[in-house]
Amino acid sequence: MTVSISVTDLVFGYQKGNFTLSCPHLRLEQGKLGLITGANGSGKTTLAKLLCGILRPSGGSVQILGQATSELSLGEIGRQVGYLFQDPSRQLFAGTVWKEMTFVDHLLESEQGTSTKKAQDLLDRFGLGELKSRSTYFLSGGEKQRLALCTILMGEPRFLILDEPTVGLDKQNRVILYDILDDLLREGRGIAVITHENELIERFAGAPQIKVERGQVSL
Amino acid sequence: MSRVDPRVKLFWVVLCTSGALIFVRLPWMAGLLLFCLLGTFSFGADRKALRGRLARFLPLFLLILLVHIVFVRAGTPLLFIREYPIVTFDGLMRGATTLMRFFIILCSAAVMAGENTRRVLAAFSKMKVPYLFSFMLMIALRFLPTFSTSFSDALIALQLRGVELKRLSLVKKLRLYRDLLLPVVADAVVKSRVLAVVMEARGFGAMPRRTSYLEVRMTLRDWVLTGVLFVLGIVALGGYYFFP
Repeated sequence: MTVSISVTDLVFGYQKGNFTLSCPHLRLEQGKLGLITGANGSGKTTLAKLLCGILRPSGGSVQILGQATSELSLGEIGRQVGYLFQDPSRQLFAGTVWKEMTFVDHLLESEQGTSTKKAQDLLDRFGLGELKSRSTYFLSGGEKQRLALCTILMGEPRFLILDEPTVGLDKQNRVILYDILDDLLREGRGIAVITHENELIERFAGAPQIKVERGQVSL
Repeated sequence: MSRVDPRVKLFWVVLCTSGALIFVRLPWMAGLLLFCLLGTFSFGADRKALRGRLARFLPLFLLILLVHIVFVRAGTPLLFIREYPIVTFDGLMRGATTLMRFFIILCSAAVMAGENTRRVLAAFSKMKVPYLFSFMLMIALRFLPTFSTSFSDALIALQLRGVELKRLSLVKKLRLYRDLLLPVVADAVVKSRVLAVVMEARGFGAMPRRTSYLEVRMTLRDWVLTGVLFVLGIVALGGYYFFP
């Protein structure tokens, strides 16, 4: 059975304002990448936040592995779906890179040995191994983003939703990010990427495009 | 009534909050609460936002009530466990008074939050408050929602890393909030520094006097309302001290 995030007859409206997002059908499968595209203010981030349970639907449903997000807590969703904010600084809390990586394990008092090895492996893989003791405030945009991605992957989610991950990145960091996405896909993770970048769209040309126009989602 | 001059609203807020601090007897506080509610609804406070805030603060309110009930031992005992008095009349009254005090402060804040920032600035300017100070005050108030958004974003991000907040013990939760507070404050400091640079780049404070198209004027209704509020304030204060 393919594991997926599926959307059925989704409707969402903010309490203030008259913006409504509707999505009749959408499916994000493990090991595949979907590109969420659309103009500014069309509802891409709203859709992404609905997919990972930050926002809850007003109508219809978003199901993660067969369970509606409305029935799951954010913590439970977080074990299956990781979300990378547009500004990764918003999801970094600890003083140093290493403390950031082990923040949750410290909090939950998980087994130290396993988490230490996992953290080290991820940092090495994402080219941050040398920056363990560096303050998170002094990382570059690209480093912050890779670190945020590493912290998400510490929880080993099956799906990743990335909100405009290439914004503010130079060519070199963009290439690193594309390679990371390739790796994650090979590992079998499902990825949804919100993007405006033609370069990224061309790089993953075979991936299905989820178009969002004035709150209407279509494939 | 929502278009009443911001100075009248400010005067009403001063009366309500001063009363909330001065009054300690329940009947007076209850009267003040009624007066405050009347103003809150008349001055066009955002009721939905107020309801949301009340819901958010409800656990804190209940905790305050509980603390008063448990720790104030004076007064007639009302409830016993064996022979030990658990609830006393004074504890209950003080708890209720404190709750009302917080409620009044929330209502006053809701009225000012519903007012247009530029109108408040214009009102301050008419009151001869230096623009720099009033502007700083408004910016500080605007930072509160930013602060709260940053904090809730941090909590969301953390939960999406698999942390179930509800399952954390109180000690762990407190430790977590302490840890999250530092980056949130740091973020606010960074934003305020950026804002300061941007304001300077736009020429803020370059001229000794600042002009504005928007001017607030006290109408006859505003003057009458101020007069009524003033008389009410004096009568209430006199009544409170001379007729206990």
